[in-house]
Formats: sequence, structure tokens, C-alpha cells
Amino acid sequence: MKLIVAMRQLPDLVEELELDSSGKDIDREYLTFVSNEWDEQALEEALLLKEATGAEVCVVALDEPDVDSTLYTALAKGADRAVKLTGIPEGWMSTHDRAAILSAWLAEQSYDLIMTGVQAADDLDGQLAAIVAARLGLPHAAVVVRVDAKDGVAVVSQELGGGTAVEAEIRLPAVLGVQTARQPPRYAPITRIRQAMNAGGLEEAPAAVTPGVRPGLRRLFPPQRSGQAEMLEGAPADVAERIIDILRSKGLIDAGA
Amino acid sequence: MIPLPSAAPGRTIFAHESPVAIIVFYCLAVISIAVFFYGWGRRLAKYRAGRSTGCRLLRPAPAGSSGTGPGTTGHGGCPVPEVVAGVNATPGTAGAVLALVTNRTVRRRSRAVGLAHLAVFWGFAGLLVATTIVAIDYDVYGHLVTGLLEGRQRSFFNGDFYLAFNAVFDAAGVAALGGTLYLLWRRARAEHFHPQLDYRRAEQPDAGYSRSAFVAGDWLFIGVLVALLFTGFVVQGLRIDESHFPPYERWTWMGWLFARALTGVGIGAEAATTVHSYLWWLHASMALGFVAYLPFSKAMHIVTSGADLLVTDPSTTRCLPPPPAAEGRAGYEVLTDFTRKELLDLDACTKCGRCHAVCPARAAGAALSPRDLILDLRQWAERQRGIRPVLDWETRPDATGPAATGPGVSLAGDVVKEHTLWACTTCMACVEACPVGIEHVPTIVQLRRSLVDQGRMEPRLQTALQNLAQQGNSFGKSARMRARWTKALDFSIPDARKEHVDLLWFVGDHASFDERLQELSRTLARVLHRSGVSFGLLYDEERNSGNDVRRVGEEGLFEMLVEHNLAAFTKSDFSEIFTTDPHSFNTLRNEYPGYGLEKRVRHYTQVLADLLEEGAIPVRPLGRRVTYHDPCYLGRYNRVVQAPRRVLRSLGCETVEMPRNKDNTFCCGAGGGRIWMDDSHLTERPSEMRIKEAAELGVDTFVVSCPKDYAMYSDAVKTTGHADHMTVRDIVQLVDEASTAPGALGVASGVAVEA
Repeated sequence: MKLIVAMRQLPDLVEELELDSSGKDIDREYLTFVSNEWDEQALEEALLLKEATGAEVCVVALDEPDVDSTLYTALAKGADRAVKLTGIPEGWMSTHDRAAILSAWLAEQSYDLIMTGVQAADDLDGQLAAIVAARLGLPHAAVVVRVDAKDGVAVVSQELGGGTAVEAEIRLPAVLGVQTARQPPRYAPITRIRQAMNAGGLEEAPAAVTPGVRPGLRRLFPPQRSGQAEMLEGAPADVAERIIDILRSKGLIDAGA
Repeated sequence: MIPLPSAAPGRTIFAHESPVAIIVFYCLAVISIAVFFYGWGRRLAKYRAGRSTGCRLLRPAPAGSSGTGPGTTGHGGCPVPEVVAGVNATPGTAGAVLALVTNRTVRRRSRAVGLAHLAVFWGFAGLLVATTIVAIDYDVYGHLVTGLLEGRQRSFFNGDFYLAFNAVFDAAGVAALGGTLYLLWRRARAEHFHPQLDYRRAEQPDAGYSRSAFVAGDWLFIGVLVALLFTGFVVQGLRIDESHFPPYERWTWMGWLFARALTGVGIGAEAATTVHSYLWWLHASMALGFVAYLPFSKAMHIVTSGADLLVTDPSTTRCLPPPPAAEGRAGYEVLTDFTRKELLDLDACTKCGRCHAVCPARAAGAALSPRDLILDLRQWAERQRGIRPVLDWETRPDATGPAATGPGVSLAGDVVKEHTLWACTTCMACVEACPVGIEHVPTIVQLRRSLVDQGRMEPRLQTALQNLAQQGNSFGKSARMRARWTKALDFSIPDARKEHVDLLWFVGDHASFDERLQELSRTLARVLHRSGVSFGLLYDEERNSGNDVRRVGEEGLFEMLVEHNLAAFTKSDFSEIFTTDPHSFNTLRNEYPGYGLEKRVRHYTQVLADLLEEGAIPVRPLGRRVTYHDPCYLGRYNRVVQAPRRVLRSLGCETVEMPRNKDNTFCCGAGGGRIWMDDSHLTERPSEMRIKEAAELGVDTFVVSCPKDYAMYSDAVKTTGHADHMTVRDIVQLVDEASTAPGALGVASGVAVEA
């Protein structure tokens, strides 16, 4: 059985994000990048599947900042192969572009299951897995919380709304958007990551960036404040007067009262 | 058969025994000695299976505690800019031998037991010499030398030598008897020495266990010693009795008293002759049995503990040894990963329980007792090597803990439980208390390294380590935010990367990122700024020092942090470093030199003490009564105990000492990475016990000098209900109060300046 886990880099959200001069992207100069936390869940579930069935786990990621660290960490955790798709244009990339590049590479590979995070900070709709599945013509399942392999099919547990869950069989090969693994992602000791780095073994493949119609980004901006609190200060009697004035001006109490 | 009393002092060896009996005796002696050497051979082979770290017995004398410049060799041959005896200096052989022969470590903090042990130690040493002299006279000089050469056996065991021999070695016997009787009496009253002599495990196996063999083994050991001494004196008494009290035997003063007592209970010369032979055989067979029993029992400590004391090196815990990398392992997994010294540690343990009594984890109800850890590892190692001890094992209904064997059993996690290893605060109280030089903490860290390598840790710790790997701090905040606390100051602290400063301030994670502690950092900054001392920061290039990361067992991450900090030091211009955090202080002072740091490292209390005494910080006397808590990594690890007290003296504060203070301080529970782990399972937090200890002193101010302590004890005064009459204050807050309050003037010193 062959598993491919697609991972990606995102700015570390502990940093303060600022817009660049174009207003269409964040300023990437001083940011640090980390792997998408849902991809880490997908990797963990894939590694658990490997431990259960002896499957081969291959990790693939676009060449984005600090991606080597993510790929070597995956190798240190037990992945068998790690592939970096090079030649990626700098800056933000839409989920459609990302899916196109991944699908082009995946089309050349043999696999039974493609797993990736159900969502990412810039893909809260969780489109990546679905678009990849559509491009490859494969079945797809989202919000997966557990995967078991059984005679040519995968048994996936999915979380639905309202506290319900579903267990479904999905024909292989398939694409899964993973919400959580059945256990928290394991820790990769730095020594092991360094050993993996020293051993090398990161494969590179050119990314096929295909031209096509894409949604254009018009403006990027921080969420606008929808409301504002006003602090009333002073003597209690004055504050009470102000409250009455405000309530009157909003028409919540009778203006003449 | 009764030997005639001769005018010349002396006695006949084997006086009552037939030639056959003598041959039987020698056969038994040969068997017992063969078993003795077989036992030691097995043990030596076990030690030799361990990793060799070079013979520490053949080491140079330690450098003095002062006047030694950079380049002096400390632990592991790495250059230590400042060598401090008892901290990072490798002790010299002469000092180690002195400690051994004076039983210094046994007497420390336990005077009565120590003196009793000293009496037993020298008493039996004397009796060993006595027996050896008799053997040399009878077997070597008598039978071999003169017997073969001259055809006539001669002896020097007579005359004045005989008299002096008996007088001196009777004293040795009395000392040994007195000491063993005291220790026997103490053992019988074990419940009065709770928890030290309480063998109940800290970690409770699910299926139960029994340690009755330990108790029986203790009684066998002490019982045989007392019986040997007692029968020895009775045999002496019988000999004097049956030979009609020759006057010169008064020199055999204790035997004489026993003989008098024997006649007193009606045993005359005739009866004595009969009893003598039986009792002599009882005494002799016990002695021969003891020789054979020695390498398989608690008695082996006579050799192993002494040997361990000679090779122990207190700098090992301060500057942890690297993982067994040559074997390709991140931590300890198999017996051969242990160093020879560590395998000797396991055999050196006498179960005295001092470590068990002082361990904060044990006191807090956690699953760790340093004594149990060593005993578990010892039993595991014995099983690995097929050594079968006498009454020195724990029994369990199932094959768990030290009895766990087979594939899939991991040393760290199964033989020693995960929660046992994670319970350690690395406070080093056990290493400090151990009278035989066992170094528990380095072994615990090696086992933790194995857990980290297996990825076995609690989620909070994993998050902390991932934050440290990503951003260089455990808070998971952006590395660029590290110096944000300085923005609220009305002056700017120089950037050591851009200009020269005398003192580089290594602030540390907690003092930089914890909002409760940032104000303390600003207070220290203001005090230093006012004093005019030149100091600076690394700003966003400082990373966690890695002290606790290393003690958690994440060696790779530690090395990564060291590399980053060293690169930042290299591009900065400063004369020496000082830290807020005692843990950072420890690793910078004792471990970074091994990676190339050649600067003097101090703690901020040392900087403040000097500035106050130089008059650079004018203060008025506060006149408070305070108590001071020594942080483990400052007071015990690094022996910085005077500087904070000098500061308090300069501020006109009276320091009421805690019952456990200085190198005997009690841990707050946050060290060794515990601050990143859950402590809700503890029956009582160590910090709460400590506050209760302080509450007995009748002082209202609990002074600390460690950011983690400030956080831990601020919580503990609230949870123990002492918040209304006790305040936790960082020492710098007191300095600030004394220097900014109205009337702050003049030069502060031991002499208070009247406002």
C-alpha cells in the first residue's frame, strides 16, 4: 500500500502579520514558516496506518520557505520518502494553483491513498483535497478523523455536524482531507531530524505550473472592526447621565421620559 | 588439651583443634574465599560491560576555588573559566580518600549515624588488620618462611607485641560492637525514622510487591556483624577463663571483662574449655560465611560504596554527560549504555534512604524515589547479568518493573516507569544527600533521553519543546517579541550586538515573556540603570539557554539552542554575562564552556551584592525580617549562597533562615522541565510545603531570586492560605524599594545609614 501525504508551509501565526506595499499579500520578509497543523494530523494518521499495515509513506510539499525542515521532520518521524516540488513562484498561491501543481505531479505517481489536511489558515473552506480529487477523478472524503485499510478499500470515520459521525468505505485510490489523527502528532527529536538532514535523501521534482483561468486577488486586509466599546469614566452620577443620553439617542427609551 | 599458662605472653593458634579439624577449617576458608572472588569477578565483569569514561581515580589534584584563570580543566576536560570546588572542579584523589576514611559524607547531616558508622568502619578495619597479622604470623612467617627454611615454625605473635596487639584490637572490636549495636537499635526503631527507613515504594506496581527480603537482608547483615563481634569477645573470654586468668591477659582488656563475666555466671575453666571449641567454630564459620556472603548482599557496600566515593564527581550533575552516541543511541536502553561508574553506583547503594527522605517528588506523592530508582536498576542489572543476590530483591506477582524481560520491554518506560522518570525536578537533593557518591540525576536524564527518542512524553511538554524548536522559547511567542518588555522603560538598554557593554544580561524565557515577571525584569533594569553599570541585551537573538531542555532529555534541541546563543555571543561585545534565571546560570557557567564559551558567568544577586557594597546603589535600611529561599540551581548546584544574603544585609534586612537552607534547600518543584508538565496529580506541591515551612518562621516576606520561584511561590502562598500575612518578593524588588524610597542616601553597607 502506498500513501502520499501532501503538506504545506504557512506563516507561523505567533508572528505579527503585516501587509506588504502591494496590499495583495502579507509581508513575508521577516516571517518564519511552519507546516500546516492539519497536514501534521494527516501525516500522523498515515504513519499509524504504516505501523498497522506496513504501507509506504511518501510526503510531498511545494518548495516554500522552511519546507526542508518540515520534510526532514516527516522523515525523522518515519516517512519513507520526501519530495519537494521546485520552481514555485514566490508569494501567496491560491488553493486552485496549489491543487493544479500537486495534481500534475500526483498524476505521474502510483498510490493508493492521498492524504492532506482538511484545511489551512488560507483555505478554511477545505478545498485543496476536493480539487485534487476532482482533477485526478478520484473519490474524496473530508473531515476524516480515522483511516483503516481493508482489502482494497479504506474505512474512514468522518465527523459530521451536530455531534454525529459516520463510518464509510471508500474505494481506493482516494483523496482524504484529514481533520485529526487518532492520536496527537508524535514528537520528532531534534537529533533525529538532524540525522535525517545529514543523511539527505530529499527528492526534488520540478513543479508543473500550468497557466489557466484563476480567481484574481483584489485586496488583502485585516478584519474590519464591526463594533466598538466606549469606556465611560467619571463620577457615577455623570456616568449614569451619559448612559441615559446614549439609550435615548438610540431610541431604546422614550426620549421624553 | 588445656594449654598451660606460660610466663611469656602469647597464645597458641588452633589451640583446641585436631590436625583434621585444622584441615577442615582451611578447606572451608578456601571455599569461602573462592566464592568471595567468584562474586567479585562477576561484579567486576558487570562493571567492565559498562562504558569506560576514563579512570577518574588517576586524576590531577583539583584547582583551588580561587585564583585559577581561564583554561583550567573542569569536567570532561572542558575549559571552565571559573573553577569552584564542589561545583565544577573534579575532586582530587587525596580529598576523596580523606572523605572516605573520615566517613565525612556519612556523618554529614546525620551526626549520630555517621559516628556509629565511623566506629564500625574503623573497628572492622582494625579487626581485618588483626586477622591479617595473625595470618601472616601463623601461615606465612610460621609455616612458609621459617617452617620451610629453618624446619622450625617461629612466631612473632608474643611478648610485648602480643600485649599491644590485644589492647589495640580489643578497642577496635569495642568500637565496632558499640557502632553496630547503635545501628541495630536504630533499625529496630525504623518507624521513628520515617520516611528514611520506610521501604514502601513511591511508584506502586498494579499487582503489588513485597520488599520483605530487603528487611530480612538488613537484619541478616547487622545481625551477623553483631554476632561476629560478640562471639569473638566471648571466645577471648573463654580462652582467658580456661587458662586461669594469666595476669598479662589484662592487656586483652575486653576479653578479660568477658572472662570475668563468664566466671560470674558460673562458667569455670573446665566448662570454658568445652564451650570454647564449639563457640570458636561458630565464630569461625560465621566469619567464613560472611566472606562468601559479602559480594552478594548489602555487605558488598563495604567495597562498592568506598570505591564509588573515590570515583564520584559532583561536576557530573552540573555538566551532564552526553548521550551514549558511540552506540548510536540517544539515551540508555541496554546495560552496556551505562558507564562503569553508573553500574558501580547501583551496587554502592545501601538503601540508607537519605535520598528518599529529601526528594521533593517523593514528598509530593509523585511516583519517584531516587532510592527505588537505583534499587530497581540494580535488580534489573543483576538479572541481566545472571547475578543472584542474597536477600536483596523485591518480589512481585508479575514480571513487571525490574523483573520485566523480553522483547518489547524498554528500560525507560517499562523497567523504570515513564511517570517515575518525568517526576524528577533535577533539584539534585539526592546526589547531595547520598553518602556514597551516587549520581542519580545524570542517570535519570539518560533514561529521559530514551523516552524523548521514543516520543514518549506528555502533550504539554511536547508543545513546549516544539515551541522551543520553532521560536527558541517555551511560551510559543515570536522570538522577535523577546525584548518587548523593555519598551515600557523610560530609557533604552544598550544592544550588546551593536556596542560594548561590561555586563551582558541573559534574561531568560520566563523573565522575558511571562507577564507577571516582566515587571521584575524592568525593576532590575531600572536598578542597574541607576547604578550606572554598563549592561546590555542580546535582544531578539537570545534563545532559551537550554538548561531544562537538556534535563528533559532533548539533547539535540539543547545543542541547537547552545549553537544559536553562542553565535549571538560571538557577534556581541561584552566582558561577562549575568543571568536572571539560576537554571540558565548553571548551564552557561558549567556546560557552555564545553561548547566554547570563555566568559565569566554570574547571577544577578552577585552583581547586586557587589554594586551595593561598592556604594553604586545608595539605599536606606529597610529593617525588615525576611526569609530567603535558595534556588536549587543557585544554592545547591552552584553554591551561590552568600551573594543574596549579602544583598539582604546591605538592605538592613534580618534574614531568618529556613530550616532547610543553602545547599540543603528544598525544591519549588519547577526544575528539570517540570514547569512544562502537569502537576495536578501531586498530593501536595513542593512549593506549598516550602511556604508552610516558611510560615513557621513568623516572617512576612518570602524573598526569592529566581523568576520561576516567584511564579511558583506567588501561587503557593495563595493556595496554602498564607497570602494575607506573607508576601513573595524578588530580591530586586527589595533593592528597588530601599533605593527609591524617600530618604535613600549614602553608601549602603553592613552599617545602616540612618535616614
